Amino acid sequence: MTELPVLLGLLLATTAGTAAALTRDPVHQALVLSVLGLALALLFTLLQAPDVALSQLAVGTVLTPLMVLLSVRKVRRRPREDSPADGRGGKR
Amino acid sequence: MRGTAYGGEAPGKRWPVNGWLAAACLLLVLGLGPALCGAVVGPVRSRLLAQNVATVLAALVLLLSSPGYDRPAYLDTALVLAVLGPAGTLVYERLLAEDLPRGTPWPALARAASWASVAVVPPVVVPVCFAVAPGRTTVKVLVIGALLVAGSAVCGRALARAPRTAVGEDSGD
Repeated sequence: MTELPVLLGLLLATTAGTAAALTRDPVHQALVLSVLGLALALLFTLLQAPDVALSQLAVGTVLTPLMVLLSVRKVRRRPREDSPADGRGGKR
Repeated sequence: MRGTAYGGEAPGKRWPVNGWLAAACLLLVLGLGPALCGAVVGPVRSRLLAQNVATVLAALVLLLSSPGYDRPAYLDTALVLAVLGPAGTLVYERLLAEDLPRGTPWPALARAASWASVAVVPPVVVPVCFAVAPGRTTVKVLVIGALLVAGSAVCGRALARAPRTAVGEDSGD
């Protein structure tokens, strides 16, 4: 019974990980990855490892989904560069 | 193993978990479960809202784990998440500006969820304020609470705005 928070955290991390693996679209997956990062950070804190949780927060909550979204943005921009340039140099 | 740095009872005598951890478990099940479900289904706008709610709830669980395990150091984790979480959500909202106008299928639920994520912060922050050592730690808890409320309100408002290409469902918040 004292392990209940750890069990719940573990369950949450497992479910989030499975959901992230089963999500097909990269944009949707980036957001599920963000929740997975949160779940892992919670799990690390509940397992008495706050330093690992701090690193996980920085990496998994911000960096990984950001990199996925930036890649998607870069990949999506390619069809637009073939269209006639309107002098803006591709900037939004 | 669990000292009385917070002046409370050590768990294990009458209750297997103390009140703080029980509240954290409750938040985990009742809050982060539905937030995860919201992040898994639906268009991008509702997923981003669910991610915002998940950030706030996770910060609250981290905040509750500090008196729960008698470790004042866990407050730093909650502080980092209170800073990074809303900033991350706003960055995603900026990067996903093309996908957002599709709107949410349940606008009332989305609005209720964003209000709930703001309203749940004070009932958690205030008892923790009274439980921690007075002085700098109380200020830290209050700063966490203020950051969570402000961040969640800003993100919720930014996301609950009517879609730019109005299809006729969301009639302006």
